[in-house]
Amino acid sequence: MEPEAEFRRLYEAHRVAVHAYFAGRTGDRQLAADLMQEVFLRAWQHFDQVTGLPEDGRRGWLFTVARNLSIDAARRQRTADGTQRALEADPVVRASGSAAPASTAVLAAERATVVAAAIATLPEQQRVTLSMAAAGDLSSAEIGAALGVPAGTVRYRLSEARRTLAEALGDYDDQQEEQQ
Amino acid sequence: MNLDDDLAAWAAAVRLPDADADAIFRRIIATPTGPAVAASPAVTPRLKPSWWRGYNAGFAVRMVASTRLAA
Repeated sequence: MEPEAEFRRLYEAHRVAVHAYFAGRTGDRQLAADLMQEVFLRAWQHFDQVTGLPEDGRRGWLFTVARNLSIDAARRQRTADGTQRALEADPVVRASGSAAPASTAVLAAERATVVAAAIATLPEQQRVTLSMAAAGDLSSAEIGAALGVPAGTVRYRLSEARRTLAEALGDYDDQQEEQQ
Repeated sequence: MNLDDDLAAWAAAVRLPDADADAIFRRIIATPTGPAVAASPAVTPRLKPSWWRGYNAGFAVRMVASTRLAA
């Protein structure tokens, strides 16, 4: 197989998971895309080394690079804080407490903002795990292998994250009922 | 709307659009440091074997000549 076609296969097999990992780490889709590009650029530069690995080994190689890059990125900027500030400054979030009548679309957007804000406030390990499961479509075993933790730990983090989100959405739903 | 639906909606907003992912792929393979370049043989100018034979012979003659005592 030509190097480009083989690399395309590697890219398509793992790009969603790698991007979801960075989205969970940074809370920023575009920054996550930049970091994902860096991971695959390194894979391209070490193509022979990566393609010589079995499938699990390839994923492990990619996530080792991803973890190192995210540590470097975290040193440069604290994006979680930035995301939180941006969410607080977002007019949709500020409007969420108002009693003005809202259309279904506005309510859906408001609910999506509440979900995003709740995810942004999760502990990082839970946020990354949830992102890899929900946006990366990875199983607990796959997430565990990528992060270097047991699958049981992944399931626990997912359970905790979902419990926190359910509480946040429950509070939001209660507010909505009170306003009606 | 249940939590799974909320998470699915959030995930859809977080995922990178295919067009963006494709653009990233193209940028990566356009870099000159990829395997095609690394695997290509180094092009270095080579001298003909006859040139090396002449050079070595001349070098040996000069070495021997340099060891002779001046008359």
